[in-house]
Amino acid sequence: MATVKLTNVKKIYQGKVTAVHDFNLDIADKEFVVFVGPSGCGKSTTLRMVAGLEDISEGTVEIDGVVVNDLQPRDRGVSMVFQNYALYPHLTVYENMAFPLRLQKHPRMSNDEIYERVTSAAKILGITQYLTRKPKALSGGQRQRVAIGRAMVRDSKVFLMDEPLSNLDAKLRNQMRAEIILLRKKIDTTFIYVTHDQTEAMTLGDRIVIMKDGFIMQVGTPAEVFDTPDNLFVAEFIGAPKMNTFKCELLREGDKYFVAPFGAKIEVDGEKGKLLREKDVVPGEIILGVRPEHVAIASRPGPTAIPTTILVNEMMGFEYHLHVLTEDGTELIVRVPTLNLNDEERAKLVAGEPLYITFEGKAMHFFDVESEYNLIYHEEQPVEGEEIIEDAE
Amino acid sequence: MARKPSMGLKASRAIGNTFGHILLVLISIIWIAPFVFIVLQSLRVETTAQVGYLLPKKIGFDNFMFLFSPDCNFMTWYFNTFIISLAVAVLQTIMILMMAYTLSRFRFKSRKALMNIMLILGMFPGFLTMVVLYQVLKLLNLTQGNAVGGLILVSVASSGMGYYVCKGFFDTIPKSLDEAARVDGATRFQVFYKIIMPLAKPIIIYTILTAFMGPWGDFIFARYIAFGEPSGYNVAVGLWSWLTQDQINNHYTHFCAGGVLVAVPVIVLFMFLQKYYVEGVTGGAVKG
Amino acid sequence: MKRLDSLEYLRLNKWQRFVYKITLFFVSIPGFFKNVGIKIGLFFKKIGLGIANFFKNIVLYFIHGDWKTKVSYVVMGFGSIARGQWLRGLLFLALEVVFILYIVFFGGQYLAQLGTLGTKAAVIETVVIGGIEVTVTKYYDNSFKILLYGVLSIFFIIAILYTWYLNIKQNHISEQIIKERKKLVSTKDDLRALVDEDFYKTMLSLPAIGITVFTILPIVFMVLVAFTNFDKNHQPPQNLFGWVGLTNFNQLFTWNTGGGASFGGTFGEILLWTLIWAFFATFTNYFLGMMVAMLINKKGIRLKKLWRTILVFSIAIPQFISLLYVSKMFSADGFINGLIMNMGGQRIPFWTNQWYARVTVIIINIWIGIPYLMLITTGILMNIPADLYESAKIDGASPAQQYFKITLPYMLFITGPYLLTSFTGNMNNFNVIFLLTGGGPTDINLYGGAGHTDLLITWLYSLTVDDTNYKLAAVIGILIFIVVALLSTIVYNVIPSTKNEEDFQ
Repeated sequence: MATVKLTNVKKIYQGKVTAVHDFNLDIADKEFVVFVGPSGCGKSTTLRMVAGLEDISEGTVEIDGVVVNDLQPRDRGVSMVFQNYALYPHLTVYENMAFPLRLQKHPRMSNDEIYERVTSAAKILGITQYLTRKPKALSGGQRQRVAIGRAMVRDSKVFLMDEPLSNLDAKLRNQMRAEIILLRKKIDTTFIYVTHDQTEAMTLGDRIVIMKDGFIMQVGTPAEVFDTPDNLFVAEFIGAPKMNTFKCELLREGDKYFVAPFGAKIEVDGEKGKLLREKDVVPGEIILGVRPEHVAIASRPGPTAIPTTILVNEMMGFEYHLHVLTEDGTELIVRVPTLNLNDEERAKLVAGEPLYITFEGKAMHFFDVESEYNLIYHEEQPVEGEEIIEDAE
Repeated sequence: MARKPSMGLKASRAIGNTFGHILLVLISIIWIAPFVFIVLQSLRVETTAQVGYLLPKKIGFDNFMFLFSPDCNFMTWYFNTFIISLAVAVLQTIMILMMAYTLSRFRFKSRKALMNIMLILGMFPGFLTMVVLYQVLKLLNLTQGNAVGGLILVSVASSGMGYYVCKGFFDTIPKSLDEAARVDGATRFQVFYKIIMPLAKPIIIYTILTAFMGPWGDFIFARYIAFGEPSGYNVAVGLWSWLTQDQINNHYTHFCAGGVLVAVPVIVLFMFLQKYYVEGVTGGAVKG
Repeated sequence: MKRLDSLEYLRLNKWQRFVYKITLFFVSIPGFFKNVGIKIGLFFKKIGLGIANFFKNIVLYFIHGDWKTKVSYVVMGFGSIARGQWLRGLLFLALEVVFILYIVFFGGQYLAQLGTLGTKAAVIETVVIGGIEVTVTKYYDNSFKILLYGVLSIFFIIAILYTWYLNIKQNHISEQIIKERKKLVSTKDDLRALVDEDFYKTMLSLPAIGITVFTILPIVFMVLVAFTNFDKNHQPPQNLFGWVGLTNFNQLFTWNTGGGASFGGTFGEILLWTLIWAFFATFTNYFLGMMVAMLINKKGIRLKKLWRTILVFSIAIPQFISLLYVSKMFSADGFINGLIMNMGGQRIPFWTNQWYARVTVIIINIWIGIPYLMLITTGILMNIPADLYESAKIDGASPAQQYFKITLPYMLFITGPYLLTSFTGNMNNFNVIFLLTGGGPTDINLYGGAGHTDLLITWLYSLTVDDTNYKLAAVIGILIFIVVALLSTIVYNVIPSTKNEEDFQ
């Protein structure tokens, strides 16, 4: 149970390749923070710097207010779950879980206490009957539990998890994800969780740190990063299927803003229009983003409707994923819930059929073409580079 | 398939297999025969010289009795070799493990340089330095009668250079195990003996086995530093001395008997630990 | 030459591709040597920079250092002790004391004579002891010891210079830390680090000392011997030996000295045979071993384990027994000739005719080598993904095509580095040659008692042991090194396994 603070942390390999740029983050006590991003974005490297498995090239990492840069991993009071579980193949499940306890010196732990802790952790994780087995006799999910168990027997200040679910199959992953949420309530400590999967990030995290190429793209709660993405990358990364984004013209007529996608002209009404006015956004070419689930189907042609042709209809069960082609050849994705569709309507949603779609103002996201920042929500914060910080503040 | 219309697939396979088996029997005979011959010769008692026929005319254990007789140095040689083998097996394994573990697990500044230096040193022929080592051992009074100590010292001292196979094995143990253990509270030393050592059992046995077998055949250097002092010989040098021009007629069958006595324990040990040997040899070759 | 891009290359037929590759290889050779040259240049640049840095830092640290640091320039470890890091300090200090004692009482005298390797040889004097005249040999300078201890002293001096520099740098670092008001590393931390983050230092110290004393020092010594006249006429302590420059190497080029055996000619012949031998020994074993392995692996062959065990069994027997026995088996009055004569044949001069001897050693070496190769290749053969063969069969490949298109390329790829080490290993395959033929049959036309099956390494051995011709043994040793190093560097840069590691994965 502790706070973690990273200040200007950098990782430079061999004095050349920079894997992490100027990472700043304050993690509160008992907070569950998820680092998410595509592979190679530096999320694991950052986690490993917190664990002490990588040297910190610049900056400081503090755990509970103590700078831990020069401390060995074992002196940092962290425990960690690895992607490939890293169970000791020659030890039984019990001994694997007892391993960190047996190494504790101050105070040395009695055998009874070790037994107590290991069995109670095993009970929580439901692996009591496997305690005498070796790891190779376990399934992927069971191994995962043992790895978590080994990390939780110790009273560590910070619980680190490096893509713990990515070696499991899809079904098991969903199940373990739910279990981790439950587990978190029981362990009740500070978590840092690394994943490349945005679903995991959204469902598990109190706060999400989205990274790309060693930079933090946005830090925020799941709702924040979903509803108010700071930039195009975050907008496209969070949410599945990914947000439709395309270039289009932003127009201003008096007090009103309009967008003109694919020949249509749609007013930006409601909250979004108000925010555009408040920010006094300059009209011109922008990137417009609309999530597939926010695309509306227009019943008939009209000035606000965009004519498209259905390319593919993916039946997901509870909804259709329609891949549609606009007249200028842009491919968009539309999610249509199947529940309220009758047979006649369903028959129209097949490849080759025309479809008219439209967007509502509240569903729109506006991004700058050059900087790809969100025109409404982006605050000039030190998120992108070092230079910007100076003139922003 | 129309390639062999006259013969069914099954028939041609059967012929191929029969031929294969015959070939394997032949190969086995060729490989086993010399050892059978040695045993036969060691039991031949009509003359101690080399003869042009195979089956002994008279069979007996005289040759073995000779080896155990007090006026023969064989037992001394055998004992010398055993001591050397034991010491080398233990010490050399320790050296190699230390070297292999560090080079596999630590990334320190001079690591690459160190490996390159050892690579380059390995390109010098081994006996080049025989003279110097002899003189050094002589200064330490570890030659002739004391050759056992000298041989152990020389075999062990530079043995760290034979780290390749072992390191290759260590490299296959996932690094995340080390990392997990370090996060769990282990020092590097604890990682080494609590995690790596138990997992490296096959390669440790391989290392011990090869280290143990080495001195039984070590001959070149042993002969040089024990020169002219039979009490310092090991079996290889001793038995070799029986096959020189002026000795061969008196000792040929003794050589064979001695050979049997040397080979038997090594073979037994080897057969027991064959699995590990095969693993080590294959792994080492693939790593290069 | 024009480089083809990948699509142009695909249009070539088999022969054009082959020719293209061969030309590419030869065209790349100058580039390769250029690269090696650049690398060597960079290496020396790095060393030069290191030395420049060394001197720069010595001056800088002295100017900016406090008095504790300045004292440390003379009394090593003083600064560390004064700042409370007593373990480091004491070690530095102890080393300095040892070094001074060593130079003053031992190494100094040898170092001083390193330039001449001694000037006063042993003298036989007649002295009168108790009225009786006795001849006594009085020993003075011992060239061997001078060279050995001289080299040792130089090693020691380099080591001490480096530690001295470390000691100064240590002071500098400590000053910095104190300036930043951080805590210095305590002795307790130092000791703890030795089993943790600095564990590698602990682990490497013993092997490093062993290798330095028992490998590096002797090799440096012997390399130097190649530049002296150390042979049977110049044996210390009776006689001195001295520096002769490149004289020994010049002998390599004395091709014909009027009928007698020339060193250069003999070297040429033995080198040639060594290469031929290594080639045959490596590749006969490789292909035959692979075939035996494939035979045993073949579907439908029973008792696979038995066949393998029989072959492995022969590895377990110490080579000196099996080889000596086989050598005698083929000797003039050995079992094989006995058999031949019984059947009314002629004695075959297995070991006395040079051609018979050469062929016989290669054949017997097959006998020795196949079990190893069988073991190695079995493992790799079983690792070739079965679906490669299955898809090849579906594509209509015959067994022979499968072998040449899948098995062989795969094997060569995986075992490329092994083949290289095996080749250089065979060049230095002392056991087989020495135990089988002892290098013979000898020939008076060859220098230094060399024989027709002698490899460079066995020749080196007999020059050392029988002739005590150390200077030429040293020259041969250096030449073996050069050949092996050249071969390794070139092959290593050409074989694909070292470059395209993923090709077959």
